[in-house]
Amino acid sequence: MAEARDIFIVCNNLEELGGLQRWAHDIGRLFTARGHRVHLVGITHAEVPHDYGQDPPYATTVLHERRPPAGGGLLLKLRHRAMVRRGAARLSELFRTAGPGGMVIAAQVWAMEWVARSDTAGMPVIGMTHESYAATRGSSRHERVKRYFADADLLLALTAADADAWAFDTMSNAGAMPNPLHVTPGSVSPRTEPVVVRLGRLSFEKGQDMLLESWAEVAPRHPSWRLRLYGSGPEEADLRRRAAELGLEGSVEFPGATSDIEGALTGASIFALSSREEGFPMSIMEAMAYGLPTVAFDCAPGVRELLTDGDDGLVVTPGNTIEFAAALDRLMSAPELRHSLGETARESVRRFAPDAIIDRWEQQFALLDR
Amino acid sequence: MKRLPPDPDITVIVIVYNDAARLPRAVHSVLEQSLPRVEVVVVDDASTDATPRVAAGLAAAHPDRIRAFTLPENSGGCGRPRNLGIEHARGRYVMFLDSDDTLDRHACRNMVTAAEESGADLVSGRCVRVLPDREQNWYPWLYRERQVYADVMDNPDLLYDTLSTNKCYRRDFLEREGLRFVDRLHYEDLLFSAQAYIGARKIAIIPHRVYNWFVIKRGETLSISNRRAELRNFADRLEIHRRIDTALREHGAAELALLKNVKFLNHDLLLYLRELRSRDPEYRRAFVELARPYVSQLDPAVFEECNQMPAIAGFMLLHGDAESAVAAADYAPKKGGRATLSVEPVERDGRVYWSGDHLDTAAGRRILDVTDLGIHSAPLDTLRLGGQVTVMRRENRSLHLAGDVVNPLGRIGDDTKLTGTLEVRDRRRSGRAFRVPVTVRQDGGRIGWETTFAPARSVRPIGLVDQTWSLGLRLESGDDTITVRLTSDGVAHEGVAAPVRPRLSRLAGDHLEAYVAESGELALRIVGRRWPGRVTLPALRRAAMTGLGKRWWQRFIRAEQVLLGRLTARATKIAVFNRVLIRLPVKKGTVVFESHLGAQYSDNPKYIYRQLRASGAPYKAIWSHSGGPRGFPTEARLVKRDSWAYYRALARAEFWVDNQGLPAELIKRAQTTYIQTWHGSAFKRMGFDEPSVKQTTRDQHERLRGMVGRFDHFLVRSEHDVRTLVKGLGVTAELARVGYPRNDALVSGGDPAEQAALRQRLGIADDRTVVLYAPTFRTDDDGRPATRFEVPFDLDRFAREFGESHVLLVRAHYLSTAVVPPGLRGTVVDVGHVHDITPLLLLADALVTDYSSVMFDYALRDRPIIFYTPDGEEYVDRLRGSYFNLAEHAPGPVVHDESGLFTALGDLDDIGRDHADRRRRFVERFGEYDTGTAAKAVVERFFTGGGRG
Repeated sequence: MAEARDIFIVCNNLEELGGLQRWAHDIGRLFTARGHRVHLVGITHAEVPHDYGQDPPYATTVLHERRPPAGGGLLLKLRHRAMVRRGAARLSELFRTAGPGGMVIAAQVWAMEWVARSDTAGMPVIGMTHESYAATRGSSRHERVKRYFADADLLLALTAADADAWAFDTMSNAGAMPNPLHVTPGSVSPRTEPVVVRLGRLSFEKGQDMLLESWAEVAPRHPSWRLRLYGSGPEEADLRRRAAELGLEGSVEFPGATSDIEGALTGASIFALSSREEGFPMSIMEAMAYGLPTVAFDCAPGVRELLTDGDDGLVVTPGNTIEFAAALDRLMSAPELRHSLGETARESVRRFAPDAIIDRWEQQFALLDR
Repeated sequence: MKRLPPDPDITVIVIVYNDAARLPRAVHSVLEQSLPRVEVVVVDDASTDATPRVAAGLAAAHPDRIRAFTLPENSGGCGRPRNLGIEHARGRYVMFLDSDDTLDRHACRNMVTAAEESGADLVSGRCVRVLPDREQNWYPWLYRERQVYADVMDNPDLLYDTLSTNKCYRRDFLEREGLRFVDRLHYEDLLFSAQAYIGARKIAIIPHRVYNWFVIKRGETLSISNRRAELRNFADRLEIHRRIDTALREHGAAELALLKNVKFLNHDLLLYLRELRSRDPEYRRAFVELARPYVSQLDPAVFEECNQMPAIAGFMLLHGDAESAVAAADYAPKKGGRATLSVEPVERDGRVYWSGDHLDTAAGRRILDVTDLGIHSAPLDTLRLGGQVTVMRRENRSLHLAGDVVNPLGRIGDDTKLTGTLEVRDRRRSGRAFRVPVTVRQDGGRIGWETTFAPARSVRPIGLVDQTWSLGLRLESGDDTITVRLTSDGVAHEGVAAPVRPRLSRLAGDHLEAYVAESGELALRIVGRRWPGRVTLPALRRAAMTGLGKRWWQRFIRAEQVLLGRLTARATKIAVFNRVLIRLPVKKGTVVFESHLGAQYSDNPKYIYRQLRASGAPYKAIWSHSGGPRGFPTEARLVKRDSWAYYRALARAEFWVDNQGLPAELIKRAQTTYIQTWHGSAFKRMGFDEPSVKQTTRDQHERLRGMVGRFDHFLVRSEHDVRTLVKGLGVTAELARVGYPRNDALVSGGDPAEQAALRQRLGIADDRTVVLYAPTFRTDDDGRPATRFEVPFDLDRFAREFGESHVLLVRAHYLSTAVVPPGLRGTVVDVGHVHDITPLLLLADALVTDYSSVMFDYALRDRPIIFYTPDGEEYVDRLRGSYFNLAEHAPGPVVHDESGLFTALGDLDDIGRDHADRRRRFVERFGEYDTGTAAKAVVERFFTGGGRG
């Protein structure tokens, strides 16, 4: 057993419904179980809070009751800066309470702005980037990651390939740390229901529009099959309209958001990841854990790290909806293939079992204070 | 504070010689490592400056982390000090650092982590060359991602990185292999790293930056690796290479030896050859003497494996022909440079050779065969020729220069009228030049030139900021501009100078003096020969080299570069367009035409333009061109794409007529009508139907939508276009179902006189059957259209089997170039430079294509079409992205191999007959609106018919 540490995990907020928050609460619980003292810090509250359970076994703090002002005006910038200064001072106070061996994890680059201005009382700072390098590269976060995480003692990306891309792009502090598997299946999908499932926000990045196009190719050949798109989001109306245009009303279902992941996955036989951008897709991990074979666009190194094409899933060229349809068709037509890929998936996802991942975290901690 | 354990993880050996100023920076970069247990061993190579005191001071300040040692006498190299460092190292790992460089903050941690995770003997990380104004990665392709190799054979390319400093060695590995640096030779790194690569049982690569190599410009103190100027240096380099060869031989690594020597020719030898132009004849002779024996003993396979120009250079050196070797180096310039042809190749037996000598052996013919460079067929203005200055002297206050220019394969005939200018160009700001006229003499294929000019009148430098000027020649012949690089014959320029008057007065100098720049070009520099320049200019230069002076100087240079960059940047022009230019009033009756981003005068825009002119309607036409005005209509106004004039014209035009895409960022205002003609029906999926577009972000989707949203009218030639192009591109414009203006002639048969003229221009006899080969582009490894197009069947076989009766016209995609050997003249003709394909389609009796949209157009001719798809299923597969199955609808036979192609070529009559039905159906299905009246319909609808659209 490694020594008990104070671990501060600083996020933009702790309450939103999203992959990052789920990760933060999960990892907090896992660190606590190893005997560490965990403090989860949110910079602000979420606009729409999600319930991550009552009485967590770790401390939580929110720095600002109101969201910091955003905008281009000089006055707003000054107010923003003053707010960051106040928040950083609170952070510094928190950090002062840490014992030897403490660690600060800035889980997002916006949160890092506060950490960077605080006094970490000698604790190492670990920055994290929870999306693929390519996704960051295409956004304004690219410059901010390079600016705010440059001085972090370590910058953790989700996969080795992403870490390499960051290392090549000036970040010599880059390393890799995958997310832990966060579900413990009570049962496994029998893979007999004629259902293809997709869980995730109905948004442009998640690419349900491309999935509908693919579905239009395969559905006529498999009239008994249904495509179930769980989730809600900004694209819902457009997607429903698109499904109607493609004549898919009969075979596509929009059951809305669900918290019953187990029910959603065990009631299906194939998982479809149609995203344009991803980091280390937790939804694939979940599907694997429940024994589902996945068809996925090769949209991030994280997809390749989780899936081996032909072994535990089928990985196709990003955006090639016809190829995606062909892969779905293969799995829908061949139950044996579904079973063999699904079983392999269930085995292979154990690489990311919480114990293994927490061991890797503790090795990183040890490296930082050796 | 924890006490440091006795054994550090890494020992960093810092070697230093007379570098007291920078040593602390290097040492501190080690002390500040994120890996704490790192020790420093400083080894001083018997410095004579303050270095010993500085080293001792550092050691005293950090006794637990720094130890300093001194060699009893100077060794003159890096080997002995590093070896002494190894003896004193205590770490499990060892790294080397030079006193003028630094380690990245996380270098040691990344190295040790990689070593421990992989168990490697050797870890190598990315080295960055830090230049005064920028940074450069050292062999970046080796360091893209982390790797673990079982040994160097897993990736022999590692040998390219010969540095010893960006690496981390397990100390017991160094001991096991007895690895030490060789003493008394420069380039000890090369041998050491080669031995380390061979000996290592596992090699790990990390993409992390580990080593900062500060590169100092040539100046008073040359660092060893920069001091190529000395012959002794070159001798050392050769000796090191001999020893590496021996080491590799002993290791039984023949393959590695081959690779290493391929690199020797590709890299090392070229480096020296490029500099040879700036050396005197004595030096050149000595150089050849040194190089020849080493090159002679190279495995002949090396010449086959290395790049073409280095092979020629090595081969020529082998035969003692330094001139031809240097010319080969001219044609293989450093990255970013432009190839110069400074020899006159010869044509023998239908092939082109670098030299007429040494063609008596098979190896000579193979190595010197440069047919594929296309020197015999490339447009003259794409070649940069070499010219030599043979006379340079001062006449009173003037300079007299004379010389000659190579005339490759006699392509510039005596009947070509040439005029010339000498350009004196600011070497720092290539946009600034002074020009003086030159007299050109042509005599029996030889081109000579001379000029006399007074620099004081013709060249007005500012002084200080523009101290060096390059000399070049421009020859004009009709629309062609041939650029000529000028070198000296090595003697003519010696000691020549003429008076000049810098704008900053004589304090900044008074003469322009000739010299040969490092690049080998003849150049001029401002010097002070008279009072007061003789004193003030050197003083000013010295001042610019002091700490403060240098800072200000660099700030000035950078500010100037930024300013110039901003003013000419595309982004600036676009911002000005969108904010200012489009507020100017529209000029009624102006039409801007563009075809294929300005590459050609062709396609639908051309035929609309012709019809518009024929109609006599009072419109003013402006054509955009990207490569040069050659081939564009002289009666129209021409603007260069992306120039200010181009943006001004677009901003004020009443019509835009284009077949591909005007700059995406430009806003189109309502008063301007954008007629998008497009450039062909689609076989391959387009726009949002392409996976690569479909998967992009919302912003990129919006960008494409915005670009397409500017179209007011979109021409289609079939309902197939509506189902594919219009849907795929997301066209919201009004559709003009009128067909393609370019295809009117294909329906009507075109103008026989025009065709006869083209036939004559291409030299095609009347009785020949004309076969046009027009494939689509092939992509290179990056997915971009390949610049070189290799014809995927045997042209010689075509000549043998059909040479008597047929002519093959080869038309590569406009982004690619095909090369037809001169031996096939008259039988195979490259028609890539012909702007417009339509006349070629009219001329052709049969078409060979693959997936090009030309199939849709040529089908209108109702003549045989052969589909030759040697790369088989790659495109045809719907999965990869086509709108229909080619085999199902093709209006002609689809063949996959050469023999199928040649059989089909022999059966053209049968194909014409047997596939007539399919061709008719194909036209009905994919081109029903092409009825021969498109140009007229467009012009009447938009330009002469009263109401617009």
